[in-house]
Amino acid sequence: MSATASEDAPLQPRILEYLRSQFPDATGHALHDVQRIAVGWSHETWLFELGLEEHGFVRRLGLCLRRDPGNALLRHLSDLEQQFRVLQCLEATALPTPKPYWFESDPDILGAPFLVMEKVPGICPSPWGRDGRAFYRDAAQRGRLPTSFTQTLATLHTLDWRAAGLDFLGVPSPGTQFVEREIAKWRELIDVSDHAPEPILTDLICWLEANIPPSDRVTLVHGAYRTGNLLIEDDRVSAVLDWELQVLGDPMYDVAYVLSDLNREGTPLLSNLVERDAFFRDYEALTGYAIDEAACRYYDALYAMRSVAFWMSASGLYAAGRSDDLRLARTAWSVPVVLARAARDLGYWIDARKL
Amino acid sequence: MTEGELLLRIASMLRQDIAPAIDAEYPKTQAFMAAVVLQKLGQQIALAPEHARAAAADSDALITALTASAAAASIPEGVRRTITELGRKRDAATLCRLIEALYANRTALGERRFVEMLARVRETLRADIERRMDYAE
Repeated sequence: MSATASEDAPLQPRILEYLRSQFPDATGHALHDVQRIAVGWSHETWLFELGLEEHGFVRRLGLCLRRDPGNALLRHLSDLEQQFRVLQCLEATALPTPKPYWFESDPDILGAPFLVMEKVPGICPSPWGRDGRAFYRDAAQRGRLPTSFTQTLATLHTLDWRAAGLDFLGVPSPGTQFVEREIAKWRELIDVSDHAPEPILTDLICWLEANIPPSDRVTLVHGAYRTGNLLIEDDRVSAVLDWELQVLGDPMYDVAYVLSDLNREGTPLLSNLVERDAFFRDYEALTGYAIDEAACRYYDALYAMRSVAFWMSASGLYAAGRSDDLRLARTAWSVPVVLARAARDLGYWIDARKL
Repeated sequence: MTEGELLLRIASMLRQDIAPAIDAEYPKTQAFMAAVVLQKLGQQIALAPEHARAAAADSDALITALTASAAAASIPEGVRRTITELGRKRDAATLCRLIEALYANRTALGERRFVEMLARVRETLRADIERRMDYAE
């Protein structure tokens, strides 16, 4: 979904003025092909090209601007500055990510904090739409993109996060601290959402707290690694996007997200793209990590808690009048859908109950 | 026309007549989304009396079962007190506290009783979520 550029016309002169200040020696600054896109529900995103003339040369610079309107789905957990820092840290690694240019916390410039980064070539089909599903189905048959999908995740999980300077994200101690932090984070989001009590959610959280799998391995974890959050060009991943949920912790957290049926619609292909056996084979070979399916099942339950937190937050923002986007209002009915799934996974419908 | 039927009719109009006539992508999507919201709301309102009756009956049955279970054996005071409170308040917040009390007192309850009591609570929650799925999906 995208809004028309004309709706954001008042902002464009301010963006141009800001960019002019970043290239004071250039002339002929102009914005071209301005497009506001709705990717995710946290930040406003604009894509455009900056035209300018420098040292006698005319050039165009592809840019992406993300602005935090202050009513992000993640509320106080949303941190555009942290996203910027993460992108800076990843710039020198083998992981394909957009080059970050500027972050500004001063709301006087564009009305809210924002960052500007490189517009990486590629497309990002939504896996939830008919066209997107067809795109990934066809790409799966060609074979190159599924391999790139797995290779990129392996690169993410094997990069030296300490050398990259990512330890500012918080290094969990071995054992259960990584999961404890995640549970605490999503509980916090649930609490601020002011939603009516949900006993199935309470059961789920109690079960999660009672069954935390210990983990000694610490890698960078993206937190939402799936098609739709990856930019694709020529059947390969050209950039990993959506750096909002990243943490340092168990790589199985990402693997569980790939394996989850949350991220495929009516297809056995993981993330609508990758055959399960091929993913296991390639991921384990590239990382040297054996996929722990028991841990992944646990993390899938944790994702159910996180999804409930997202939908409670989203519908709460609409109910509180902090957003006019009806997509957020609609998520009030997503809460019971996710709870029903969690109840099924907890064994509500079978005799051998998961306790 | 009931309130639920009215909302469903408006939802249908939004979906079939209004949204398709809008050119701009964002307001068009919002119009379709409004149709979805009104449809779900309409179904929820239409089913509300029947669901409320079923929920009340399920709540009565749960409290009867838990009270009997608590009377039949020695159980931790925190669990007993929450069962009594649930009988008085009959609300979701107290049911949440009961679930927390069961998990917190798992060792003291013993595994068999913990499993039995939680399974009985889950039976009620299962019926509730199945009702909500009538309009949520």
